[in-house]
Amino acid sequence: MDASNEYAKVGEFKPIDLLAAAAAREVNDGDVVFAGTGLPMLAITLAQYTHAPNSRCIYEAGSIDGRPIDLPTSVGDARCCYQCAKAGGLYEAFYGQLHSGYVDLGFLGGAEIDKYGNLNTTVIGDYNSPKVRFTGSGGNADINSYAARTVFIMNQEKRRFRENVDYVTSPGWRIKKWPSGDWAPRREVYGKFFRGGPTAVITDMAVFRFDQTGLMYLDTVHPGFSVEDVKNNVDFDLNISLVSGETKAPTYHQLDLLYNKVDPEGIFLP
Amino acid sequence: MGKINTIALKEAAGLIQDGDCIAFSGFTIWRRPVALCYELVRQGKKNLHLFEVQGGFHSEVLIGAGCVKMWEGSWMGQELLGKTGVNLSRKQCEGQIIVDDYSHGHAVARIQAGAIGVPFFPTALAMGTDILNPKYDGFARAGQRDGSDPYVAREKYKIVRDPFYDMGELLLMPAINPKVALVYAPLVGSEGTVRVLAQTYNDADVIKAAETVIVICEEIVPDEYLRRDPTQNLATGYEIDYVVKCPWAAHPTGSQYYYDTDADFLRNFNAATRTQEQFDQWADEWIFGVDSQEEYLQKLGAKRMELLRASQLLGYSTSVKRGTR
Repeated sequence: MDASNEYAKVGEFKPIDLLAAAAAREVNDGDVVFAGTGLPMLAITLAQYTHAPNSRCIYEAGSIDGRPIDLPTSVGDARCCYQCAKAGGLYEAFYGQLHSGYVDLGFLGGAEIDKYGNLNTTVIGDYNSPKVRFTGSGGNADINSYAARTVFIMNQEKRRFRENVDYVTSPGWRIKKWPSGDWAPRREVYGKFFRGGPTAVITDMAVFRFDQTGLMYLDTVHPGFSVEDVKNNVDFDLNISLVSGETKAPTYHQLDLLYNKVDPEGIFLP
Repeated sequence: MGKINTIALKEAAGLIQDGDCIAFSGFTIWRRPVALCYELVRQGKKNLHLFEVQGGFHSEVLIGAGCVKMWEGSWMGQELLGKTGVNLSRKQCEGQIIVDDYSHGHAVARIQAGAIGVPFFPTALAMGTDILNPKYDGFARAGQRDGSDPYVAREKYKIVRDPFYDMGELLLMPAINPKVALVYAPLVGSEGTVRVLAQTYNDADVIKAAETVIVICEEIVPDEYLRRDPTQNLATGYEIDYVVKCPWAAHPTGSQYYYDTDADFLRNFNAATRTQEQFDQWADEWIFGVDSQEEYLQKLGAKRMELLRASQLLGYSTSVKRGTR
Protein backbone atom coordinates (compact mmCIF):
# COMPACT_ATOMS: atom_id res chain seq x y z
CA MET A 1 0.00 0.00 0.00
CA ASP A 2 1.22 3.47 -0.85
CA ALA A 3 2.48 5.11 2.38
CA SER A 4 0.22 8.09 1.77
CA ASN A 5 -2.81 5.82 2.02
CA GLU A 6 -1.91 4.69 5.54
CA TYR A 7 -4.05 5.99 8.36
CA ALA A 8 -2.65 8.90 10.36
CA LYS A 9 -2.08 8.32 14.08
CA VAL A 10 -3.80 10.10 16.96
CA GLY A 11 -2.03 13.42 17.43
CA GLU A 12 -1.25 13.75 13.73
CA PHE A 13 -4.68 15.09 12.83
CA LYS A 14 -7.26 17.44 14.32
CA PRO A 15 -10.82 16.38 15.19
CA ILE A 16 -12.16 18.41 12.27
CA ASP A 17 -9.89 16.50 9.83
CA LEU A 18 -11.34 13.20 10.92
CA LEU A 19 -14.83 14.64 10.72
CA ALA A 20 -14.26 15.70 7.12
CA ALA A 21 -12.69 12.36 6.21
CA ALA A 22 -15.43 10.30 7.86
CA ALA A 23 -18.08 12.40 6.16
CA ALA A 24 -16.39 12.03 2.79
CA ARG A 25 -16.61 8.22 3.14
CA GLU A 26 -20.40 8.49 3.17
CA VAL A 27 -20.34 9.58 -0.48
CA ASN A 28 -20.73 6.74 -2.98
CA ASP A 29 -19.11 7.10 -6.36
CA GLY A 30 -21.82 8.26 -8.73
CA ASP A 31 -24.00 9.91 -6.07
CA VAL A 32 -25.79 13.14 -6.84
CA VAL A 33 -25.06 15.09 -3.67
CA PHE A 34 -26.90 18.19 -2.42
CA ALA A 35 -24.57 19.89 0.06
CA GLY A 36 -24.94 22.75 2.52
CA THR A 37 -22.44 25.43 3.53
CA GLY A 38 -19.28 24.63 5.52
CA LEU A 39 -18.06 21.14 6.41
CA PRO A 40 -20.40 19.43 3.91
CA MET A 41 -18.55 21.34 1.16
CA LEU A 42 -15.19 20.04 2.43
CA ALA A 43 -16.49 16.48 2.66
CA ILE A 44 -17.99 16.30 -0.84
CA THR A 45 -14.92 17.93 -2.37
CA LEU A 46 -12.60 15.51 -0.55
CA ALA A 47 -14.73 12.58 -1.72
CA GLN A 48 -14.52 13.81 -5.32
CA TYR A 49 -10.72 14.01 -5.09
CA THR A 50 -10.50 10.45 -3.72
CA HIS A 51 -12.92 7.52 -3.95
CA ALA A 52 -15.91 9.22 -5.57
CA PRO A 53 -14.69 11.09 -8.65
CA ASN A 54 -18.02 10.46 -10.37
CA SER A 55 -20.16 11.99 -7.64
CA ARG A 56 -21.90 15.19 -8.66
CA CYS A 57 -22.65 18.15 -6.41
CA ILE A 58 -25.62 20.50 -6.37
CA TYR A 59 -25.55 23.69 -4.33
CA GLU A 60 -28.88 25.23 -3.46
CA ALA A 61 -28.33 28.62 -5.12
CA GLY A 62 -28.48 26.84 -8.47
CA SER A 63 -25.08 25.50 -9.55
CA ILE A 64 -25.45 21.95 -10.87
CA ASP A 65 -22.40 19.66 -10.99
CA GLY A 66 -19.80 22.40 -10.55
CA ARG A 67 -16.11 21.60 -10.21
CA PRO A 68 -14.83 24.38 -7.94
CA ILE A 69 -11.05 24.81 -7.82
CA ASP A 70 -11.31 27.18 -4.83
CA LEU A 71 -13.41 26.54 -1.71
CA PRO A 72 -16.68 28.53 -1.80
CA THR A 73 -17.70 30.52 1.30
CA SER A 74 -21.33 30.51 0.20
CA VAL A 75 -23.46 28.02 -1.70
CA GLY A 76 -24.20 31.00 -3.97
CA ASP A 77 -20.50 31.72 -4.51
CA ALA A 78 -19.03 32.43 -7.95
CA ARG A 79 -16.68 29.52 -7.17
CA CYS A 80 -19.58 27.01 -7.14
CA CYS A 81 -20.21 27.76 -10.81
CA TYR A 82 -16.74 26.95 -12.07
CA GLN A 83 -17.15 24.27 -14.76
CA CYS A 84 -20.72 23.53 -13.70
CA ALA A 85 -23.00 21.74 -16.14
CA LYS A 86 -25.74 24.26 -15.54
CA ALA A 87 -26.12 27.49 -13.58
CA GLY A 88 -29.79 27.83 -12.73
CA GLY A 89 -31.47 29.24 -9.68
CA LEU A 90 -33.22 27.96 -6.58
CA TYR A 91 -36.22 26.74 -8.55
CA GLU A 92 -33.89 24.47 -10.54
CA ALA A 93 -32.12 23.23 -7.40
CA PHE A 94 -35.18 22.61 -5.21
CA TYR A 95 -37.76 21.60 -7.78
CA GLY A 96 -35.88 20.70 -10.98
CA GLN A 97 -33.38 18.52 -9.11
CA LEU A 98 -34.59 17.76 -5.57
CA HIS A 99 -38.36 17.46 -5.95
CA SER A 100 -37.81 15.63 -9.25
CA GLY A 101 -35.99 12.93 -7.34
CA TYR A 102 -32.44 13.17 -8.66
CA VAL A 103 -30.71 13.58 -5.29
CA ASP A 104 -29.06 10.53 -3.71
CA LEU A 105 -27.34 12.15 -0.74
CA GLY A 106 -28.00 15.26 1.33
CA PHE A 107 -25.08 16.63 3.33
CA LEU A 108 -26.15 18.95 6.12
CA GLY A 109 -25.26 20.51 9.47
CA GLY A 110 -27.38 21.31 12.51
CA ALA A 111 -27.46 22.67 16.04
CA GLU A 112 -29.62 20.06 17.84
CA ILE A 113 -30.76 16.54 16.97
CA ASP A 114 -33.01 13.95 18.64
CA LYS A 115 -32.85 10.15 18.54
CA TYR A 116 -35.12 9.99 15.47
CA GLY A 117 -32.90 12.37 13.52
CA ASN A 118 -35.15 15.40 13.86
CA LEU A 119 -32.90 18.40 13.48
CA ASN A 120 -33.12 21.94 14.80
CA THR A 121 -31.39 24.86 13.07
CA THR A 122 -33.95 27.50 14.02
CA VAL A 123 -34.19 28.48 17.72
CA ILE A 124 -33.25 27.50 21.24
CA GLY A 125 -36.23 27.89 23.55
CA ASP A 126 -39.84 28.51 22.53
CA TYR A 127 -40.05 29.73 18.91
CA ASN A 128 -42.45 32.45 20.02
CA SER A 129 -39.96 33.92 22.49
CA PRO A 130 -36.63 32.24 21.80
CA LYS A 131 -33.45 32.43 23.83
CA VAL A 132 -31.32 32.15 20.70
CA ARG A 133 -32.13 32.24 17.02
CA PHE A 134 -29.95 30.40 14.54
CA THR A 135 -30.15 30.58 10.77
CA GLY A 136 -33.47 28.81 10.21
CA SER A 137 -34.04 26.00 7.74
CA GLY A 138 -32.70 27.28 4.48
CA GLY A 139 -32.62 24.13 2.38
CA ASN A 140 -32.04 21.82 5.35
CA ALA A 141 -35.65 20.67 5.73
CA ASP A 142 -36.13 20.28 1.99
CA ILE A 143 -32.94 18.39 1.25
CA ASN A 144 -33.45 16.12 4.25
CA SER A 145 -37.04 15.44 3.23
CA TYR A 146 -36.26 14.50 -0.36
CA ALA A 147 -32.73 13.08 -0.60
CA ALA A 148 -32.63 9.27 -0.61
CA ARG A 149 -30.01 9.46 2.18
CA THR A 150 -29.07 12.32 4.46
CA VAL A 151 -25.87 12.66 6.48
CA PHE A 152 -25.64 15.24 9.25
CA ILE A 153 -22.35 16.71 10.39
CA MET A 154 -22.45 18.08 13.94
CA ASN A 155 -20.52 18.87 17.11
CA GLN A 156 -20.82 16.24 19.85
CA GLU A 157 -22.29 17.91 22.93
CA LYS A 158 -24.92 16.77 25.41
CA ARG A 159 -26.98 19.91 24.79
CA ARG A 160 -27.03 19.10 21.06
CA PHE A 161 -28.08 15.41 21.29
CA ARG A 162 -31.42 15.76 23.01
CA GLU A 163 -34.48 13.67 23.87
CA ASN A 164 -36.58 16.41 22.24
CA VAL A 165 -35.27 19.28 20.16
CA ASP A 166 -36.77 22.73 20.77
CA TYR A 167 -37.95 23.09 17.16
CA VAL A 168 -38.13 20.46 14.44
CA THR A 169 -36.62 22.31 11.49
CA SER A 170 -35.77 19.24 9.48
CA PRO A 171 -37.67 15.93 9.49
CA GLY A 172 -36.28 12.68 10.96
CA TRP A 173 -37.85 9.21 11.09
CA ARG A 174 -40.74 10.08 13.45
CA ILE A 175 -42.27 13.42 12.67
CA LYS A 176 -45.32 15.59 13.30
CA LYS A 177 -48.38 14.93 11.18
CA TRP A 178 -50.27 18.16 10.70
CA PRO A 179 -52.79 19.55 11.43
CA SER A 180 -52.94 17.52 14.67
CA GLY A 181 -49.20 17.52 15.31
CA ASP A 182 -49.34 13.89 16.48
CA TRP A 183 -46.06 12.03 16.04
CA ALA A 184 -46.12 9.56 13.14
CA PRO A 185 -43.60 7.52 11.16
CA ARG A 186 -42.01 9.46 8.34
CA ARG A 187 -43.32 6.98 5.74
CA GLU A 188 -46.88 7.66 6.87
CA VAL A 189 -46.51 11.45 6.55
CA TYR A 190 -44.74 11.36 3.20
CA GLY A 191 -46.73 8.51 1.69
CA LYS A 192 -45.97 8.16 -2.02
CA PHE A 193 -43.61 11.13 -1.73
CA PHE A 194 -41.32 9.13 0.58
CA ARG A 195 -37.78 8.84 -0.79
CA GLY A 196 -35.64 8.04 2.25
CA GLY A 197 -34.26 9.86 5.25
CA PRO A 198 -31.36 10.41 7.64
CA THR A 199 -28.81 7.59 7.46
CA ALA A 200 -25.86 8.87 9.50
CA VAL A 201 -24.75 11.54 11.94
CA ILE A 202 -21.04 12.27 12.06
CA THR A 203 -19.53 14.26 14.92
CA ASP A 204 -16.08 15.06 16.24
CA MET A 205 -16.39 11.95 18.48
CA ALA A 206 -18.35 9.26 16.67
CA VAL A 207 -20.47 8.04 13.77
CA PHE A 208 -24.15 7.25 14.44
CA ARG A 209 -26.61 5.46 12.19
CA PHE A 210 -30.33 4.68 12.28
CA ASP A 211 -31.95 1.25 12.73
CA GLN A 212 -35.02 -0.05 10.88
CA THR A 213 -37.35 1.65 13.33
CA GLY A 214 -35.63 4.98 12.73
CA LEU A 215 -33.80 5.07 16.07
CA MET A 216 -30.26 6.38 16.25
CA TYR A 217 -27.51 3.99 17.37
CA LEU A 218 -23.79 4.33 17.89
CA ASP A 219 -21.83 2.77 15.04
CA THR A 220 -18.16 3.73 15.42
CA VAL A 221 -16.17 5.77 17.91
CA HIS A 222 -13.30 7.97 16.73
CA PRO A 223 -9.73 7.11 17.78
CA GLY A 224 -8.95 8.65 21.17
CA PHE A 225 -12.56 8.44 22.43
CA SER A 226 -14.51 5.72 24.27
CA VAL A 227 -18.14 4.59 24.08
CA GLU A 228 -18.48 6.08 27.56
CA ASP A 229 -17.24 9.48 26.28
CA VAL A 230 -19.92 9.42 23.61
CA LYS A 231 -22.67 8.33 26.00
CA ASN A 232 -21.71 11.19 28.32
CA ASN A 233 -22.24 13.61 25.48
CA VAL A 234 -25.70 12.38 24.48
CA ASP A 235 -28.77 13.46 26.44
CA PHE A 236 -31.02 10.54 25.41
CA ASP A 237 -30.60 6.82 26.12
CA LEU A 238 -28.22 5.89 23.33
CA ASN A 239 -28.26 2.40 21.82
CA ILE A 240 -24.66 1.13 22.09
CA SER A 241 -25.42 -2.53 21.35
CA LEU A 242 -24.54 -2.23 17.66
CA VAL A 243 -21.10 -0.60 17.90
CA SER A 244 -18.99 -1.94 15.02
CA GLY A 245 -15.60 -0.62 16.14
CA GLU A 246 -13.37 2.40 15.72
CA THR A 247 -13.81 5.08 13.04
CA LYS A 248 -11.01 5.04 10.51
CA ALA A 249 -8.60 7.94 10.91
CA PRO A 250 -7.93 10.15 7.91
CA THR A 251 -5.16 8.91 5.65
CA TYR A 252 -2.06 11.02 5.02
CA HIS A 253 -3.32 11.42 1.48
CA GLN A 254 -6.66 12.79 2.73
CA LEU A 255 -4.89 15.20 5.10
CA ASP A 256 -2.67 16.40 2.30
CA LEU A 257 -5.71 17.00 0.08
CA LEU A 258 -7.66 18.75 2.83
CA TYR A 259 -4.93 21.27 3.64
CA ASN A 260 -3.31 21.68 0.25
CA LYS A 261 -6.12 21.26 -2.22
CA VAL A 262 -9.57 21.54 -0.61
CA ASP A 263 -8.95 24.42 1.81
CA PRO A 264 -5.43 25.78 1.31
CA GLU A 265 -6.62 29.28 2.24
CA GLY A 266 -7.60 28.19 5.76
CA ILE A 267 -11.21 29.31 5.38
CA PHE A 268 -12.68 26.43 7.33
CA LEU A 269 -9.72 24.38 8.53
CA PRO A 270 -7.47 25.90 11.20
CA MET B 1 -38.09 49.67 -28.97
CA GLY B 2 -38.20 49.96 -25.23
CA LYS B 3 -36.67 52.62 -23.06
CA ILE B 4 -35.59 52.80 -19.45
CA ASN B 5 -36.52 55.15 -16.69
CA THR B 6 -33.19 56.04 -15.12
CA ILE B 7 -33.29 57.63 -11.69
CA ALA B 8 -30.82 58.51 -8.94
CA LEU B 9 -30.18 56.39 -5.86
CA LYS B 10 -31.91 58.75 -3.41
CA GLU B 11 -34.89 59.09 -5.72
CA ALA B 12 -35.16 55.30 -6.00
CA ALA B 13 -35.14 54.82 -2.24
CA GLY B 14 -37.75 57.60 -2.03
CA LEU B 15 -40.19 55.41 -3.98
CA ILE B 16 -40.43 53.02 -1.04
CA GLN B 17 -43.14 53.91 1.45
CA ASP B 18 -43.23 53.03 5.13
CA GLY B 19 -44.96 49.66 5.50
CA ASP B 20 -44.17 48.41 1.97
CA CYS B 21 -43.71 44.70 1.27
CA ILE B 22 -40.29 44.27 -0.33
CA ALA B 23 -38.33 41.39 -1.87
CA PHE B 24 -34.71 41.38 -3.05
CA SER B 25 -32.44 39.82 -5.62
CA GLY B 26 -29.41 37.74 -4.72
CA PHE B 27 -28.46 34.93 -2.40
CA THR B 28 -27.16 35.45 1.18
CA ILE B 29 -23.95 37.37 0.41
CA TRP B 30 -24.09 37.65 -3.38
CA ARG B 31 -25.77 40.27 -5.63
CA ARG B 32 -27.73 42.13 -2.95
CA PRO B 33 -28.95 45.70 -3.64
CA VAL B 34 -26.95 47.00 -0.68
CA ALA B 35 -26.52 50.65 -1.75
CA LEU B 36 -30.32 50.93 -1.97
CA CYS B 37 -30.73 49.36 1.48
CA TYR B 38 -28.20 51.77 3.00
CA GLU B 39 -30.21 54.63 1.48
CA LEU B 40 -33.48 53.25 2.91
CA VAL B 41 -31.80 53.39 6.34
CA ARG B 42 -30.63 56.98 5.76
CA GLN B 43 -34.18 57.95 4.78
CA GLY B 44 -35.49 56.38 7.99
CA LYS B 45 -38.00 53.93 6.46
CA LYS B 46 -40.23 52.16 8.98
CA ASN B 47 -42.48 49.12 9.30
CA LEU B 48 -41.23 47.37 6.19
CA HIS B 49 -42.43 43.85 5.47
CA LEU B 50 -39.61 41.77 3.99
CA PHE B 51 -40.32 38.62 2.04
CA GLU B 52 -37.05 36.79 1.58
CA VAL B 53 -36.38 33.40 0.13
CA GLN B 54 -33.37 33.83 2.38
CA GLY B 55 -31.86 36.89 4.05
CA GLY B 56 -28.32 38.19 4.18
CA PHE B 57 -26.20 41.24 4.88
CA HIS B 58 -28.64 43.70 3.26
CA SER B 59 -31.61 42.63 5.38
CA GLU B 60 -29.49 42.35 8.53
CA VAL B 61 -28.73 46.05 7.98
CA LEU B 62 -32.40 46.99 7.48
CA ILE B 63 -33.44 44.96 10.53
CA GLY B 64 -30.62 46.27 12.71
CA ALA B 65 -31.59 49.85 11.78
CA GLY B 66 -35.18 49.29 12.89
CA CYS B 67 -36.71 49.63 9.42
CA VAL B 68 -38.47 46.26 9.51
CA LYS B 69 -41.73 45.28 11.21
CA MET B 70 -42.24 41.83 9.63
CA TRP B 71 -39.72 39.34 8.27
CA GLU B 72 -40.62 36.12 6.54
CA GLY B 73 -38.08 33.81 4.96
CA SER B 74 -36.24 30.55 5.31
CA TRP B 75 -32.79 31.56 6.52
CA MET B 76 -30.74 34.46 7.80
CA GLY B 77 -26.96 34.73 7.92
CA GLN B 78 -23.78 35.24 5.96
CA GLU B 79 -22.76 31.57 5.58
CA LEU B 80 -19.05 31.00 6.28
CA LEU B 81 -18.54 34.74 6.82
CA GLY B 82 -20.91 34.99 9.79
CA LYS B 83 -23.25 32.05 10.19
CA THR B 84 -26.13 33.50 12.17
CA GLY B 85 -27.90 36.74 11.38
CA VAL B 86 -27.17 38.47 14.66
CA ASN B 87 -29.53 41.40 14.11
CA LEU B 88 -32.59 39.31 13.25
CA SER B 89 -31.67 37.05 16.15
CA ARG B 90 -31.50 39.95 18.61
CA LYS B 91 -34.77 41.52 17.44
CA GLN B 92 -36.61 38.18 17.43
CA CYS B 93 -35.39 37.24 20.91
CA GLU B 94 -36.39 40.68 22.22
CA GLY B 95 -39.82 40.44 20.55
CA GLN B 96 -39.22 43.53 18.42
CA ILE B 97 -40.00 41.97 15.06
CA ILE B 98 -42.72 39.67 13.69
CA VAL B 99 -41.04 36.58 12.26
CA ASP B 100 -42.37 33.71 10.18
CA ASP B 101 -40.12 30.84 9.08
CA TYR B 102 -40.31 28.71 5.95
CA SER B 103 -38.04 26.19 4.29
CA HIS B 104 -36.19 27.22 1.17
CA GLY B 105 -38.46 24.99 -0.90
CA HIS B 106 -41.56 26.61 0.62
CA ALA B 107 -40.27 30.15 0.03
CA VAL B 108 -39.27 29.30 -3.54
CA ALA B 109 -42.76 27.88 -4.12
CA ARG B 110 -44.31 31.13 -2.89
CA ILE B 111 -42.28 33.50 -5.08
CA GLN B 112 -42.61 31.14 -8.06
CA ALA B 113 -46.40 31.24 -7.70
CA GLY B 114 -46.26 35.03 -7.50
CA ALA B 115 -44.04 35.16 -10.58
CA ILE B 116 -46.35 33.15 -12.81
CA GLY B 117 -49.61 34.59 -11.51
CA VAL B 118 -51.15 31.57 -9.80
CA PRO B 119 -52.43 31.89 -6.22
CA PHE B 120 -50.53 28.90 -4.82
CA PHE B 121 -47.92 26.29 -5.61
CA PRO B 122 -47.93 22.62 -4.56
CA THR B 123 -44.98 21.02 -2.82
CA ALA B 124 -44.16 17.94 -0.77
CA LEU B 125 -40.92 19.41 0.60
CA ALA B 126 -40.29 19.82 4.34
CA MET B 127 -43.49 18.15 5.57
CA GLY B 128 -43.70 17.00 9.19
CA THR B 129 -41.70 19.91 10.61
CA ASP B 130 -42.41 22.73 13.05
CA ILE B 131 -42.31 25.14 10.12
CA LEU B 132 -45.91 23.97 9.66
CA ASN B 133 -46.80 24.09 13.36
CA PRO B 134 -49.85 26.39 13.67
CA LYS B 135 -48.59 27.52 17.11
CA TYR B 136 -45.50 28.94 15.43
CA ASP B 137 -47.30 30.85 12.66
CA GLY B 138 -45.76 34.20 13.56
CA PHE B 139 -47.93 36.29 11.24
CA ALA B 140 -51.16 34.68 12.53
CA ARG B 141 -50.11 35.21 16.15
CA ALA B 142 -49.56 38.88 15.40
CA GLY B 143 -53.05 39.12 13.86
CA GLN B 144 -51.67 39.72 10.37
CA ARG B 145 -53.69 36.98 8.66
CA ASP B 146 -57.12 38.64 8.97
CA GLY B 147 -57.28 39.41 5.24
CA SER B 148 -56.73 43.16 5.63
CA ASP B 149 -53.15 43.12 4.33
CA PRO B 150 -52.97 42.19 0.62
CA TYR B 151 -49.37 41.05 1.09
CA VAL B 152 -50.23 38.48 3.78
CA ALA B 153 -52.08 35.27 2.90
CA ARG B 154 -55.07 34.34 5.09
CA GLU B 155 -53.39 31.00 5.86
CA LYS B 156 -49.71 30.09 6.00
CA TYR B 157 -50.25 26.90 4.00
CA LYS B 158 -52.88 24.30 3.28
CA ILE B 159 -52.70 20.51 3.28
CA VAL B 160 -54.52 19.00 0.29
CA ARG B 161 -55.01 15.53 -1.10
CA ASP B 162 -53.84 15.03 -4.68
CA PRO B 163 -57.10 14.90 -6.69
CA PHE B 164 -55.50 13.55 -9.88
CA TYR B 165 -53.05 10.71 -9.32
CA ASP B 166 -53.71 9.64 -5.71
CA MET B 167 -50.28 10.74 -4.53
CA GLY B 168 -51.73 11.50 -1.11
CA GLU B 169 -51.31 14.62 1.01
CA LEU B 170 -49.09 17.52 0.11
CA LEU B 171 -48.88 21.26 0.73
CA LEU B 172 -50.16 24.31 -1.08
CA MET B 173 -48.05 27.38 -0.43
CA PRO B 174 -49.67 30.78 -1.07
CA ALA B 175 -48.22 33.11 -3.72
CA ILE B 176 -46.41 36.24 -2.68
CA ASN B 177 -46.52 39.36 -4.85
CA PRO B 178 -44.37 41.98 -3.13
CA LYS B 179 -45.11 45.64 -3.72
CA VAL B 180 -41.51 46.43 -4.64
CA ALA B 181 -38.58 44.34 -5.86
CA LEU B 182 -35.14 45.78 -5.17
CA VAL B 183 -32.85 44.04 -7.62
CA TYR B 184 -29.12 44.26 -8.12
CA ALA B 185 -27.82 43.15 -11.52
CA PRO B 186 -24.42 43.86 -13.02
CA LEU B 187 -25.75 44.73 -16.47
CA VAL B 188 -28.87 46.49 -17.71
CA GLY B 189 -29.37 47.27 -21.38
CA SER B 190 -30.46 50.61 -22.81
CA GLU B 191 -33.93 49.07 -23.29
CA GLY B 192 -33.93 47.48 -19.86
CA THR B 193 -32.85 43.94 -20.68
CA VAL B 194 -31.27 42.50 -17.51
CA ARG B 195 -28.30 40.14 -17.36
CA VAL B 196 -26.58 38.42 -14.47
CA LEU B 197 -23.33 36.54 -14.96
CA ALA B 198 -23.74 33.42 -12.80
CA GLN B 199 -26.45 31.50 -10.90
CA THR B 200 -29.81 33.20 -11.35
CA TYR B 201 -30.98 32.59 -7.72
CA ASN B 202 -34.63 33.80 -7.53
CA ASP B 203 -33.95 37.06 -9.34
CA ALA B 204 -36.27 36.49 -12.32
CA ASP B 205 -39.08 35.34 -9.99
CA VAL B 206 -38.73 38.37 -7.74
CA ILE B 207 -38.86 40.67 -10.79
CA LYS B 208 -41.99 38.98 -12.20
CA ALA B 209 -43.78 38.76 -8.86
CA ALA B 210 -43.38 42.37 -7.72
CA GLU B 211 -45.64 45.26 -8.69
CA THR B 212 -42.76 47.73 -9.01
CA VAL B 213 -39.24 46.74 -9.96
CA ILE B 214 -36.14 48.85 -9.30
CA VAL B 215 -32.90 47.50 -10.74
CA ILE B 216 -29.60 48.90 -9.48
CA CYS B 217 -26.68 48.08 -11.75
CA GLU B 218 -22.96 48.45 -12.36
CA GLU B 219 -23.31 49.41 -16.00
CA ILE B 220 -25.94 50.42 -18.50
CA VAL B 221 -24.90 48.93 -21.85
CA PRO B 222 -26.37 49.03 -25.36
CA ASP B 223 -29.28 46.59 -25.50
CA GLU B 224 -27.91 45.46 -28.85
CA TYR B 225 -24.95 43.96 -26.98
CA LEU B 226 -27.17 41.90 -24.64
CA ARG B 227 -29.38 40.77 -27.54
CA ARG B 228 -26.46 39.16 -29.34
CA ASP B 229 -26.82 36.29 -26.88
CA PRO B 230 -30.39 36.34 -25.56
CA THR B 231 -29.97 32.94 -23.84
CA GLN B 232 -27.85 34.71 -21.22
CA ASN B 233 -30.46 37.29 -20.21
CA LEU B 234 -32.56 37.25 -17.03
CA ALA B 235 -35.43 39.63 -17.76
CA THR B 236 -36.89 41.78 -20.48
CA GLY B 237 -37.08 45.55 -20.27
CA TYR B 238 -40.85 45.77 -19.91
CA GLU B 239 -40.68 43.91 -16.61
CA ILE B 240 -38.50 46.70 -15.19
CA ASP B 241 -39.79 50.06 -13.93
CA TYR B 242 -36.70 51.98 -12.80
CA VAL B 243 -32.97 51.67 -13.30
CA VAL B 244 -30.30 53.13 -11.03
CA LYS B 245 -26.69 53.14 -12.18
CA CYS B 246 -24.49 52.73 -9.13
CA PRO B 247 -21.06 51.07 -9.31
CA TRP B 248 -20.22 48.66 -6.47
CA ALA B 249 -23.85 48.80 -5.35
CA ALA B 250 -23.71 45.23 -4.04
CA HIS B 251 -20.64 45.70 -1.79
CA PRO B 252 -19.87 44.02 0.64
CA THR B 253 -21.82 41.23 -1.08
CA GLY B 254 -20.25 39.98 -4.29
CA SER B 255 -21.08 40.38 -7.96
CA GLN B 256 -19.64 37.68 -10.20
CA TYR B 257 -17.09 39.01 -12.73
CA TYR B 258 -17.15 42.45 -11.03
CA TYR B 259 -16.05 41.96 -7.40
CA ASP B 260 -15.86 39.27 -4.75
CA THR B 261 -17.66 39.18 -1.42
CA ASP B 262 -15.73 41.31 1.08
CA ALA B 263 -14.97 38.61 3.67
CA ASP B 264 -13.31 40.95 6.19
CA PHE B 265 -16.12 43.48 5.99
CA LEU B 266 -18.82 40.81 6.44
CA ARG B 267 -17.06 39.01 9.31
CA ASN B 268 -16.49 42.34 11.03
CA PHE B 269 -20.15 43.34 10.61
CA ASN B 270 -21.26 40.05 12.13
CA ALA B 271 -18.92 40.44 15.11
CA ALA B 272 -19.47 44.19 15.57
CA THR B 273 -23.29 44.39 15.53
CA ARG B 274 -24.30 41.93 18.27
CA THR B 275 -25.92 44.58 20.47
CA GLN B 276 -28.10 47.49 19.37
CA GLU B 277 -25.49 49.98 20.61
CA GLN B 278 -22.85 48.24 18.54
CA PHE B 279 -25.09 48.23 15.48
CA ASP B 280 -25.85 51.93 15.90
CA GLN B 281 -22.12 52.66 16.09
CA TRP B 282 -21.49 50.59 12.99
CA ALA B 283 -24.31 52.36 11.14
CA ASP B 284 -22.99 55.78 12.21
CA GLU B 285 -19.71 54.93 10.58
CA TRP B 286 -20.76 53.11 7.41
CA ILE B 287 -24.28 54.42 6.64
CA PHE B 288 -24.80 57.82 8.25
CA GLY B 289 -21.10 58.74 8.07
CA VAL B 290 -21.32 58.90 4.27
CA ASP B 291 -24.02 60.53 2.18
CA SER B 292 -23.52 58.91 -1.21
CA GLN B 293 -22.12 55.83 -2.89
CA GLU B 294 -19.13 57.97 -3.98
CA GLU B 295 -18.30 58.79 -0.36
CA TYR B 296 -18.82 55.15 0.64
CA LEU B 297 -16.38 53.97 -2.03
CA GLN B 298 -13.89 56.65 -1.02
CA LYS B 299 -14.08 55.33 2.51
CA LEU B 300 -13.54 51.76 1.30
CA GLY B 301 -10.46 52.88 -0.58
CA ALA B 302 -8.83 51.88 -3.84
CA LYS B 303 -6.58 49.27 -2.22
CA ARG B 304 -9.45 47.27 -0.79
CA MET B 305 -11.48 47.55 -3.99
CA GLU B 306 -8.53 46.41 -6.08
CA LEU B 307 -8.16 43.27 -3.93
CA LEU B 308 -11.86 42.48 -4.35
CA ARG B 309 -11.85 42.99 -8.11
CA ALA B 310 -12.92 39.74 -9.82
CA SER B 311 -10.78 37.85 -12.27
CA GLN B 312 -12.33 38.17 -15.72
CA LEU B 313 -11.63 34.50 -16.32
CA LEU B 314 -12.92 33.02 -13.05
CA GLY B 315 -15.53 35.55 -11.95
CA TYR B 316 -14.05 35.98 -8.47
CA SER B 317 -10.96 37.51 -6.89
CA THR B 318 -7.79 35.47 -6.67
CA SER B 319 -5.95 38.04 -4.56
CA VAL B 320 -8.30 38.79 -1.67
CA LYS B 321 -7.47 37.06 1.64
CA ARG B 322 -10.45 34.96 2.68
CA GLY B 323 -9.05 32.63 5.35
CA THR B 324 -6.21 32.41 7.85
CA ARG B 325 -3.54 31.20 5.42
